[in-house]
Amino acid sequence: MNARRFIKTIPMKLYLILLGVILFAFFSNDFGLVDVQKTAIILAAGIDKTEDGYTLSSQIAVPKGSDRTTGGTSSVEIETEGKTVSDCITMLYTKTGWVPKLIFCNLLLLGEETAKDDVFGGLNYFLRNEYMSDSCFLAVCEGKAGEVLSSQSAIDDASSLAITKLFSDAAKKSGKVMPNTLKEFSVSYFGVSKSGYLPYVRMSDQEGAQEAGGNESSGGSGGQSKPQKIYTASETAIFYEGKMTGLLPPEETLAFALLKGEVFAGTFNATDKNKPVTLTVLEDDGSVSLEAKTSPKVKLSLSLTVRLCCRGVSAPIDDVSTDEVSEEVLRSAEQTLQGYMRKLWDDCAQAECDLFGLRRDLYRSSLKRYSELKDVVPNGVEAEIETRVQTKS
Amino acid sequence: MNKISPRQLYFFLACVMPVGKLVILPSLLAQYAKNDLLFPMLISYLIQAGVVFAVLLAMRKGESLYALLSNTFGKVASIVILVILSIFYLYAGLLPLLEQRLFVQSVFYDTLPSLAAFAPFFVFSIYLCAKPLGSQGRVWDILGPLSVAGLAGVLILSVASTDPGALLPVGGGGFKGALKAFTVATGWFFDGAILLMLLGRVDYKKGTAWKGTLFYLAGGLGVLAFLAVFYAVFQDMAAGQYFAIAKTSKYFSGITVLGRIDYVFIYMLSLVMAFWCTVPLQAGIDCYLQPFGRHRHLATILSVAVNAVFLVLLYLLDNRFGEVMRFITGPSFWIFPAFCILLPPFSLLLRRNHERT
Amino acid sequence: MKYVTGDLKRDAEALKKLLPAEDILTFSFTSEKGLSFLCVYADPITDKELLGEQLIRPLLHYEGGKSAKDISKSVTSPELRLNREFKKLSEEVLAGNPVLLWEGMDEAVIVGTKKVFVRAIAEPSTDVAVKGPREGFIEDVKINTSLVRRRLKTGELKIETLEVGRRSKTVVALCYLEGTSVQDTVDEVRKKLQEIDIDIVPDSSYLTHFLSSRPYSLVKQVGTTEKPDIFCAKIAEGRVGLIVDGSPIALTLPYLLIEDFQSSEDYFVPPYRATFTRILRFLSLFVAIYLPAFYVSAQLFKLRLFPVKLLLTIAGSIRDIPFSPSLEMLLVLFVLEVLNEASIRMPKYVGMALSVVGALVLGETAVSAGFVSTPAIIIIAFSGIGLYAVPNLIEQTSVLRLVMLLIAGSVGTYGLILATAFILLYLVTTENYGAPLVAPFSPLIGRDLRDSVVKYNLGSLKLRPETLGSPNKRRLK
Repeated sequence: MNARRFIKTIPMKLYLILLGVILFAFFSNDFGLVDVQKTAIILAAGIDKTEDGYTLSSQIAVPKGSDRTTGGTSSVEIETEGKTVSDCITMLYTKTGWVPKLIFCNLLLLGEETAKDDVFGGLNYFLRNEYMSDSCFLAVCEGKAGEVLSSQSAIDDASSLAITKLFSDAAKKSGKVMPNTLKEFSVSYFGVSKSGYLPYVRMSDQEGAQEAGGNESSGGSGGQSKPQKIYTASETAIFYEGKMTGLLPPEETLAFALLKGEVFAGTFNATDKNKPVTLTVLEDDGSVSLEAKTSPKVKLSLSLTVRLCCRGVSAPIDDVSTDEVSEEVLRSAEQTLQGYMRKLWDDCAQAECDLFGLRRDLYRSSLKRYSELKDVVPNGVEAEIETRVQTKS
Repeated sequence: MNKISPRQLYFFLACVMPVGKLVILPSLLAQYAKNDLLFPMLISYLIQAGVVFAVLLAMRKGESLYALLSNTFGKVASIVILVILSIFYLYAGLLPLLEQRLFVQSVFYDTLPSLAAFAPFFVFSIYLCAKPLGSQGRVWDILGPLSVAGLAGVLILSVASTDPGALLPVGGGGFKGALKAFTVATGWFFDGAILLMLLGRVDYKKGTAWKGTLFYLAGGLGVLAFLAVFYAVFQDMAAGQYFAIAKTSKYFSGITVLGRIDYVFIYMLSLVMAFWCTVPLQAGIDCYLQPFGRHRHLATILSVAVNAVFLVLLYLLDNRFGEVMRFITGPSFWIFPAFCILLPPFSLLLRRNHERT
Repeated sequence: MKYVTGDLKRDAEALKKLLPAEDILTFSFTSEKGLSFLCVYADPITDKELLGEQLIRPLLHYEGGKSAKDISKSVTSPELRLNREFKKLSEEVLAGNPVLLWEGMDEAVIVGTKKVFVRAIAEPSTDVAVKGPREGFIEDVKINTSLVRRRLKTGELKIETLEVGRRSKTVVALCYLEGTSVQDTVDEVRKKLQEIDIDIVPDSSYLTHFLSSRPYSLVKQVGTTEKPDIFCAKIAEGRVGLIVDGSPIALTLPYLLIEDFQSSEDYFVPPYRATFTRILRFLSLFVAIYLPAFYVSAQLFKLRLFPVKLLLTIAGSIRDIPFSPSLEMLLVLFVLEVLNEASIRMPKYVGMALSVVGALVLGETAVSAGFVSTPAIIIIAFSGIGLYAVPNLIEQTSVLRLVMLLIAGSVGTYGLILATAFILLYLVTTENYGAPLVAPFSPLIGRDLRDSVVKYNLGSLKLRPETLGSPNKRRLK
């Protein structure tokens, strides 16, 4: 009888034991967990190659207290060194006591020297890390990444936030910048093209701006004063086999964006009777294709619909009130763009960068033709450029 | 309540069974077959669909596996067969559990948690395994729509980041790669074998066999759609993207503002996976309960014992998923085809009680 | 002595022995013809005016014979019964029905002049409707059954009365529509009620324990309503209803979980509005149970669930909090539950002061003092409000919320998934009187889904719910 009663009460006893375990775990608060208070929320990381390894500059968000009288994001930059990026991350933990969390890292900045070597030595850690978001922006910067990240932005609390603003969708549509993410860059690197591109960030002093305080902390106060900086990313670094092999100036960046068909409301200049005229792109239809039937030939084709945005000289009111663009301007625009595209193709060919993924397209369309032509594209291929600029009637 | 209706069976075949194939298998297929990863999966599904059809046909007999076996071979032989089958189920259940543990570690935690964080799974598993497999029928009614919603949500959020051309050219991965991928995939295809334990528990109606097979293939279509999206998102990086189901949707543009809202769908699928992972264990336990009768205490004791063994195994094999996978799909590759492709159709030949008399 | 003897003195002594209470009074009088009468009654619950009017006044002028039949003819009360067993007579006295004895007759007359104290029929505070009937049940079984009868004017409506409770002798009215309710369910409910051996039944909630298939379960298994219109609608669908004397809450069986997501108002507003509010109720309940838990587990285990800007705001808010996120949330939840409990029990005039204390002193000051963070208060407040979107399930959901919070704080989101799986399994395997608790979702019954999360218009609801298995399937022709 007692045994039966005992068996009958087993479920209740088990529930109580379970509740006890849950309560113990709840109050002991430890399942190897790292809560937000013990975490370094890394907003951006800069990678610089050193002689025997890497320097990792981490921009860590410092949450403002409950008295949130001021907006914005405070941050602190910590530099760590190691043979690999993983070593640097471990060193960060040792230095600060915070557990670094890369999941919120929205910008990976590569120093110029790092980019000229195989960047995937530095990026390897981030690609392998399950707790890293590979949708973060990736960019190359002039000089050292650490210096750029620790600089004081004139427009934002943290330099990384100011830089990522350059990579917004609106900026991308303007054709002035070609942002890229870690994932997209890696996909093109691991693919048959083995090529890629990244925006190239330059930093310059903001003239006439007040000098901000802060030594290590960009959000803190006191210490030495730092000059305020502004950032531009209108150039594009191009890569082959993970190494930066060329740099596209702003006009080639625009041509690249136009050929990808991603520009809307972006502007470029043409001439009208030797006077500058700015045109706005309303429709962008660009394509790059490889014709491999006989001898391989690449066709860069661009068809734009534009409207007049601005003249560099004063004009009568009947001209100001209309968007009409003269034939002369359209032809001038075509010539200008053809020049940009020609230069873009030549630079890519010289850098061996298959920027438009022609090898990939070839591979996807015919394995046979791919094996025949893979070594010829892009530097052994003639380019035929076709440009058509029209205005809205 | 212990009888499974055909609708519940269809939900199981079309919505519950596929979830186990969406975690690590896609990256393994991409590793070996590259852009041809759809073909080994398609072939595996077609073969398994034949097996599923055969077992579903055997369900017409309306008797449990043990009853059919003992009518054909006698009691002792049938017990031996069930014990062997039980060992296979538990063997087959190891890979999904190891996979689930890694998946949980990656999807539910930001930092590597201790094994103890996964231990609660076994509390749930003990509770579930102590119940007859047939009692899951009603759960499948809920899990079916949940699984469809989860997968559809993930696919919708992922589709904007795809480059469908990445699946070309056909044959890019090579025949050898596709073959290797096919052999690897066998470790995840024990669906027909699982159905053996549902013999006699399904309220078989006319047409259940072919409808069930179609539903099974529909589930396969969902898996193939996911594989296509997966490869189209990651392309040549796909091989390194373990826990595929939690990866493809993370590029959805709304995530920057809303946080990982795709986790809503991933959690839905995780819920389905929690049930799916217990199915082989439950089937393994059922093999012992069928001959000896379903006594509540015996079921509980077996459930506790089996789950305790798996907890220990998980502890011992922690971070050894690769080795286990290589063992299962390497030297002991033949076990899965033997139990999952060759054996189940024999259920059609087993005799019913009245056929003997 | 078991039976009335006709010796008035002895009979009075015997009754008094059975009813020694001070409020049991006797009144003796003699008719003009010299016949002695004795009336025994319970003072507080007997309508003495009615007693005088219907019994004593006619008998004072009584000139007929001594037989019970003759005397019954003179008494003007419509509710008269004859009995001679003292035990039964004493029970009737205690029920408020006076007993009349007279000299030389071994039988007594029971007169139905019970004084009924009832409050007016009012709208129940727990189930307020903007549109639709506003009547609510009260504590009197007779009035409650009359409210039902008024709505179901059919001979098929059967109201069986049973007595439950050894001492309370509580009247329970078993209501069902013959031919529409499942007879097996009626029989099973009747049997279970007859088998109850309990001292007293102060409220209908006492019966739920005996009527549930899993009496120790957290999950509700008996439907409850305070509104006669809902009660009648449920009976008309094929359920069995129970009205318990002394309780304004009627019970219905079998119970489906979906019932508590259906408000009476859903049937009086356009179907798209009803569908919207039902989805809202489902979401509210989900948010109420899971939001605090997910918030805690995200902070402890999976920060990526937050968008980065929100995370920085949260991180800023909790920077100076001395507790871990889980303890902080538990503390705020504890305060909310205490406030909730106190505000229900406190006298109304203190209620306003309590609101001020709760909102300002505890909320604002706790944040300022750095005990708790603002997001935690917002989360709990939102969860608290969400809970009341489905008021009939508060007892269950508030416990679940706490359980989920404990799990989230200990094992994180995966624990929540497993707990959900556990609950799911438990719910789908719960059945009561042949009806699965979570029907029509599991087992999936397509037709019944028309009145579940989605509410179709009335024209599409021609048949009664399949789940309940009513033999009379069609309700709309």
